[in-house]
Amino acid sequence: MTDDRRTASGIPVKGHYGPDDVPLSAREALAAGPGRTPFLRGAYEGMYRTKPWRIFQLSGFGNPADERERLLFLLRQGEGGIIMEHDRNTADHLYNVDHPEVVARREDVGLTGAVIIGVRDYETILEGIPIQDIYTHPGGAVVQHAPFALACFWTVAERRGIDLHRLAGTGQSDFFLTYVGCITKQQIPPRAGLRLNGDITEFCLDHLPRWVPVSIAGYNGADSGLSAPDELATVFATAVEYLDALAERGRHEPQELSHKVGGVNFRVGMDFFEDIAKLRAARKMWAELLERRYGIRDEKARQLRIHVVTAGSALTYQQPFNNIARGTIMALASVLGGVQSLGVACYDEALSIPSEHAHQMSVRIQQILQHETGIDAVADPLGGSYYLEALTSELEARAWESFDEIEQQGGFIEALDSGWLHRRAARRQSEQWDEVESNSRLIVGVNCHEIDETPFEIDGFQGTTDAWDQAMARLADVRSSRDGAAARRALHELERVCRSEENIMVPMMQAVDADVTLGEIGDVFRDVWGDWEPPIRP
Amino acid sequence: MSRVIIAKTGLDGHWRGTLLVSRALRDAGFEVIMLGMARGADIVSAAVDEDADLVGLNVGGRVEVVERILDDLAVAAPGVAVFAGGVVPPWVRRRLEARGVEVYPPGSKLADIVAAARRLTRRSPSTASEPDETPQDRDE
Repeated sequence: MTDDRRTASGIPVKGHYGPDDVPLSAREALAAGPGRTPFLRGAYEGMYRTKPWRIFQLSGFGNPADERERLLFLLRQGEGGIIMEHDRNTADHLYNVDHPEVVARREDVGLTGAVIIGVRDYETILEGIPIQDIYTHPGGAVVQHAPFALACFWTVAERRGIDLHRLAGTGQSDFFLTYVGCITKQQIPPRAGLRLNGDITEFCLDHLPRWVPVSIAGYNGADSGLSAPDELATVFATAVEYLDALAERGRHEPQELSHKVGGVNFRVGMDFFEDIAKLRAARKMWAELLERRYGIRDEKARQLRIHVVTAGSALTYQQPFNNIARGTIMALASVLGGVQSLGVACYDEALSIPSEHAHQMSVRIQQILQHETGIDAVADPLGGSYYLEALTSELEARAWESFDEIEQQGGFIEALDSGWLHRRAARRQSEQWDEVESNSRLIVGVNCHEIDETPFEIDGFQGTTDAWDQAMARLADVRSSRDGAAARRALHELERVCRSEENIMVPMMQAVDADVTLGEIGDVFRDVWGDWEPPIRP
Repeated sequence: MSRVIIAKTGLDGHWRGTLLVSRALRDAGFEVIMLGMARGADIVSAAVDEDADLVGLNVGGRVEVVERILDDLAVAAPGVAVFAGGVVPPWVRRRLEARGVEVYPPGSKLADIVAAARRLTRRSPSTASEPDETPQDRDE
């Protein structure tokens, strides 16, 4: 090893740190304590003592009944909420199962999440799940999919007689997944996506006070290659786009909106201290950004709440059980950084969709941390460490530089549309992989300590094989049994509102209630907004 | 210059792997045509139209979809070699390898992938001399 040691994002690291390495601004932020601006030490005063972090895993596959079974399994294991995964083949692109693109890959359907045609499938999945009592992410990670997913979930609640005011949960509508990390076949342009996210946010302000309408997921930028400072910068550059666009509509002041936008997602990877520092820096940056840019001084309005997903890209195909150790280390960093909820990527992630056992392990890792280690007793237990404070301050400084670069590009959407962000992510991704190939970064099982793995092989989860056939049958059933005239009226109304400045969530709720299907909504969106032309087509 | 088509068999748009592999192949002197998320029929016609020497399939879904593409390629473009990568569990890897498709799962070295591309493109129709090494024959 050379003396030149750096963090994953390239910050030089010394052999030891002392009091002189902690800047004055960090000392002031430290003194404020947890639950007080600038929230360096935590979003809440009591942190895990008063509110343990929520165990919150992604899950879903196959038919709606398969997804329900897995969700119930996870709730029985001790999950604190549910995240409903949708079939990528249909949901991401807003295609019905009879779309030619889907038919060409029909065996893939249902592999990555349940196939959800419409509200009836939501009712099947949620049967027996007490949605009024748990925290739910009902899907809609991809921007154009979110209004449909949220409307389906909320409609199920209404049909059960649950007041929307009671529902707690989160949307996603994530620009990083949609336009950076997982570019879809067809997608509405980012400006149209911004409008949809604005509509969801305003709808939640009116009807769902306990709901996080959109959740900016830095994870998907970071797992595509963005460094820790870039992840921080891009998350807040996105937040600023949301706030500015909403403020321009004139219905709400930034102060009313900032709390709604302040439920975000970060990726925690294997650079233990850098990622702890990142979560701490994030809270401080958000509090300062809101005051500086919008003059918001209210404490609660500046409180950033963080969900972390541990890095799937850090998990190896080789020797997959090693990923249980990696998941534990990343979960520990997340908890020490201060999270409100956490999902641990499953140990078989590089091979397949999670098996039941891999899912259970991700829950157990978190329960072991919660019950056996005592780390939940003290908020920000590493706060005041010379090294961590120096690193937090340095990351913050670099993230502001990156934020300014994005502003110079014309803001987040411009940086996205021009491909600037993609190029930046791709370049670092190549550099990171080059480090592995040249053995300057070691990954156990990949470029060191390799073994013959046959005795420890796992199969990977195989899921169900009838999801496409079943979904075709359900689609035919919906088409023949629904009130066709009502569905057509609802679609026309949706299209009219898409072309107006009214909130699309109102006709979207009516449309899903009239059994309008996913693909029909996609057709309306494509007619109205056309397709985004991605700057890269990998 | 050998021509390689890189295509994603599924409708999952994660692009990390395909971009890394495509860049490495370009840096090594291959002409790379990136099709993105392409249907089997599009991959087959691109292989024919572009006179490709090699097709690289990024597998993000089930083996049956990949096998259909391999069957169609074997008929329409019998001289074109195929290799694969992506989220491929060991049992799928063995199934593909059994029919002559080399598989490079996550963590594979780009140097190995480039070496494989060089080796496989040496067997293009005009230069292939040993029929027992063609993918179809390995199937047996």
